[in-house]
Amino acid sequence: MHIPDNYLSPSTCAVMSAAMVPVWVVSVKKVKKGITKTNIPILGIGAAFSFLLMMLNIPLPGGTTGHAVGGTLLAILSGPYAACISVSIALLIQALLFGDGGILAFGANCFNMAFILPFLGYFIYKFIKDRIPTEKGELFGILIGSYVGLNMAALSTAIIFGIQPILFKNPEGIPLYSPYPLSVSIPAMTIPHLLVAGVVEALFTAAIFSFIKKVSPGMIYQGREQKTKAVYALIVLLICLTPLGLLATGTAWGEWGVDEIKDVISGGNQPLGFTPQGMENGFTFNSILPDYTLSGLPDIAAYILSAVAGTSIFLILFKVIAAFKKETFDKNSKLPSE
Amino acid sequence: MIEINDVSYSYLGIRALSHISIKIEAGEAVAIMGPNGSGKSTLLKLINGLIFPDTGCYRFQGQEITENQLQDPIFAKKFHQKIGFVFQNSDTQLFCADVYDEIAFGPRQMGLSESEIGKRVNDLLELMQLDAFHHRSPYHLSGGEKRKVAIACVLSMNPEVLVLDEPINELDPRTQRWLVDFLIRLNKSGKTLITSTHNLELVPEISTRSILFDENHGILADMQTQKMLLNTDLLIKANLVDEYYHIHDGEDHVHFHDHIF
Amino acid sequence: MNQKYQIHPVLKVIFTFSLVILLSFSHNFAFVMTILVYTLFSLSLMKGNQILAILKISLWVSLFTFIILLPSNKYSSVMITVKVFTTVTTINMLPHSTKWSSITGAFKFFNIPDIFILVLDIAIKYIVMLGNHALQLIWALKLRSIGKNRDKYQSLSGIAGNLFIKSVEMSKEMYSAMECRGFNGKYITLEKKRLSMVDLLYMLIHIGIVILFFYIGKIVE
Ligand SMILES: Nc1ncnc2c1ncn2[C@@H]1O[C@H](COP(=O)(O)OP(=O)(O)OP(=O)(O)O)[C@@H](O)[C@H]1O
Ligand SMILES: [Mg+2]
Repeated sequence: MHIPDNYLSPSTCAVMSAAMVPVWVVSVKKVKKGITKTNIPILGIGAAFSFLLMMLNIPLPGGTTGHAVGGTLLAILSGPYAACISVSIALLIQALLFGDGGILAFGANCFNMAFILPFLGYFIYKFIKDRIPTEKGELFGILIGSYVGLNMAALSTAIIFGIQPILFKNPEGIPLYSPYPLSVSIPAMTIPHLLVAGVVEALFTAAIFSFIKKVSPGMIYQGREQKTKAVYALIVLLICLTPLGLLATGTAWGEWGVDEIKDVISGGNQPLGFTPQGMENGFTFNSILPDYTLSGLPDIAAYILSAVAGTSIFLILFKVIAAFKKETFDKNSKLPSE
Repeated sequence: MIEINDVSYSYLGIRALSHISIKIEAGEAVAIMGPNGSGKSTLLKLINGLIFPDTGCYRFQGQEITENQLQDPIFAKKFHQKIGFVFQNSDTQLFCADVYDEIAFGPRQMGLSESEIGKRVNDLLELMQLDAFHHRSPYHLSGGEKRKVAIACVLSMNPEVLVLDEPINELDPRTQRWLVDFLIRLNKSGKTLITSTHNLELVPEISTRSILFDENHGILADMQTQKMLLNTDLLIKANLVDEYYHIHDGEDHVHFHDHIF
Repeated sequence: MNQKYQIHPVLKVIFTFSLVILLSFSHNFAFVMTILVYTLFSLSLMKGNQILAILKISLWVSLFTFIILLPSNKYSSVMITVKVFTTVTTINMLPHSTKWSSITGAFKFFNIPDIFILVLDIAIKYIVMLGNHALQLIWALKLRSIGKNRDKYQSLSGIAGNLFIKSVEMSKEMYSAMECRGFNGKYITLEKKRLSMVDLLYMLIHIGIVILFFYIGKIVE
C-alpha cells in the first residue's frame, strides 16, 4: 500500500499532506494529554511492530505493495490517536531508511494507513463491541474492524492512484504520473487485500489481541464511549460510500473524484500556484457529461442519498443483531461481572 | 543522605515493598540482599525516583521525593545528576548509536558544552579501558563490555550516589574482579555505593553494611556485612541459602581488599 | 569517520527534500537526467559498502517500477523509473551520510514535536532488536515443531504477543534509564555550528539546481 514518489502529482501529495497536518496535530495533543510519560515508549514499540509487519509485503501491479499494517491492533491497544502516530513513524522510517514509500507521498501514505485504517478499524471495533458486549462480540468487532480498516485503506490508495491519469496529463494526453486509471488500480489494489492481506491483518489482530488480553489486560486502551459516538455517523457514512464507489468504477467514479479533488484543493490552505496548471491539462470535467444521474438529481446529491440509505440500513442491521444478542444474553444471565 | 520511612509499594496489586525503613549516610557502602522477587530492584527504583511510595515517604538530602517534585524539570535534572543508576539489564540502559554518544548522553542533558563533554567521555573511556570502543554500537558489545559502558554512562554525570542493580552477575571472574576493585576505588573517593547482589563471596568487598530482604518484601536484617555472612540461620531464614551453606574458612573468605591505586 | 559527518545536517535535510520535490515537479527529461548524474556523482563519493547498500534498494525499486509501467507508455515507464531511482537513491544517502542523532536534531530544528521524535527514536532502536528476536523465535519454533502442525499459527501469535509485551516492558525501562540520565522528554537542538567551506559549496550546488529547474522550465514553455 506504500505509494512511491513520482507516482502521484506534487499537488496530490500536497493535498494529502495538508489533510494529514490537522490529524497529526490533534493526535499529538490527544496523546500528550491522555498518556502518562512512562507509557510513551509503547508508541515506539507499536511503530516498530507495524514496521516489521509492513516489511512482510508482496508487490502488487500498479506499483504498490500488499501487506498487513497492524493499525487496528495498535488502535485497540493504545487508542486511535496513538496508533496514528505509531504508524506514521513506521512509514517515515520506511521512507527514509528503506525506500519503501515516497517522501513526498508520505502524507498520502499516512492518510491511508495511519489515518483511515486505525480510526476506521477502531471505530468499527468499538461500535460492534459496544453493541454486542460479549467476548464473541468483541472478537467479531476486531475481525471486522481490522478487515474493513485495511481494505478501506487499500481502496483509498487505489483511488489516489487511479485519479492521477485523469487529472494530470501533458497536452498530448499522456499521463504525467501513475498511468493506470481507476478501472485498473481499484481491482489491482483491492482484490489482493480483500483476499489475502485483509485476512492476514484480521487474523493477526485477533490473535495478538486475545493473547495480550489474557496475559496483560492492563495494556488495553479504554476508550470513552461518549466521544466515539459522534464519529459513528461519519464512519458509517464512509463505509457506505466506498462499496458504492467500488461498483461505480471507471468514468463515473473518476468524475466524482475530480470534483472532490477540486473541492479539497480550494478548501485546503495550500498555495494554489501549481494546481491549476496540472488541472488545466487533465481536468476535462465539462466535456464528459455524467452518464449516471438519479431522476434529474445531480451526481453528488444522488450519491449522498444512497450513502445515507446505506448508513441507515447498516445501523438497523446492527441494532437488530444487538437486540437479538441481548435477549439470549439476559436469558443465560451470564453477564461478565466486570 | 537517604531516608526511607515506612515505605510500601505494589505493582498493580502485586506487593513488592512492605513497610521499609532505611537510612543511608553519605560515603557508605551498602549491599541490598534477598532472594529473587523480594523487592531489591523495586527499592533501587524507588531510590532513583522512578517509582514513588504508595505509603510512607522517601527523602533525599532532606528533600522529599514525590512524583510532583520530579515534574519540575530543573529539580529532576539536579536530582538525577546526584544519583546514578546502573540497571540490572544493561540492554535496556543503552540506547544510543555509539559508545561515545551513550556516555555523552547524560552530560548533554545537563547542558554541558561539547568540549567539556568530550573531555569527560575520553577520560572515562581511558579509566575504564574502553578506548577501543569509541565508535562501536552498544548493541554489539559483549555482556561485560555493556556493563562497563553502562557504568561509564552513569559516572559521566559525576553523581554523588551510585546505585547498582546486580552489577556482578553474568561477568567472567576477571571482569568481576576488575569491577569489584573499581567500585572499592569509587567508594574510597567518597561516593556512596548502594549495590544489590546475590554474590555472597564478593559482598563483603563492596559493602560494609548489608540490608537483607525476606520473601515477604520486608527487611529481615540491617547489620554489618561480615556479621550477616556468619549468621547462617539468618540467611536460611531469608531463603537466600539452604542448609548446606557454610563458610569454609571465615578468615580467608571474609576480608577487605586493600589495593593500591 | 570525520568526512562522513561533514555537511551540516540541517542543510542536508533541507536540500535532500528540495531535490526530491524538484524531481517530482519536473517534466523535463534533461533536468531529471542532470539530477540523476549529480546523484550518481554524490553517491560515488561514499564508501563501497554504503554504495552497495543504497544501490541494492534503489535498483530493486526501480526495476520493479519499470516492469510495472512497461505496458503503459514510453513516457511513463522511462521518466517515472528514472525519477524513482534518483529519488530513492537521494533519500537513502541521507541516513548513510548523517548521524542519527543529527537527524533528530534537525527534526527538532524544523519544530517537529518531541513526542514524534521520541517515538521515532524508540522505534528505530527496537526495530533491529525485535526483528532479530522474532527471527530467532521463528527458528526455534521451526525446530521444535517438525512437519505440519496446526498449533503452529497459535504459537506464532503467542510469539508475537509475547514479544510485544516484553518489548513494551523493556522500552519502559529504557525510558526510565533515559530519565535517570537527565532526559525529560525534550530533545535538544543541534549545537550551533559555523558553516564550513564544504557547507557553502554544498549550498551553492543546490541553489544552482533550483535555478536550473526554473531555467529549463522557461526554455520548454
Ligand atoms: N513491572 C512489574 N509489574 C508487576 N510486578 C512486578 C514488576 N516488577 C517487579 N514485580 C514484582 O514485584 C516483586 C519484587 O520484584 P523485584 O524486581 O523488586 O525483585 P528483586 O528482589 O529485584 O528480584 P531479583 O533478585 O530476581 O532481581 C516481585 O514479586 C515481582 O514479581
Ligand atoms: Mg532485581
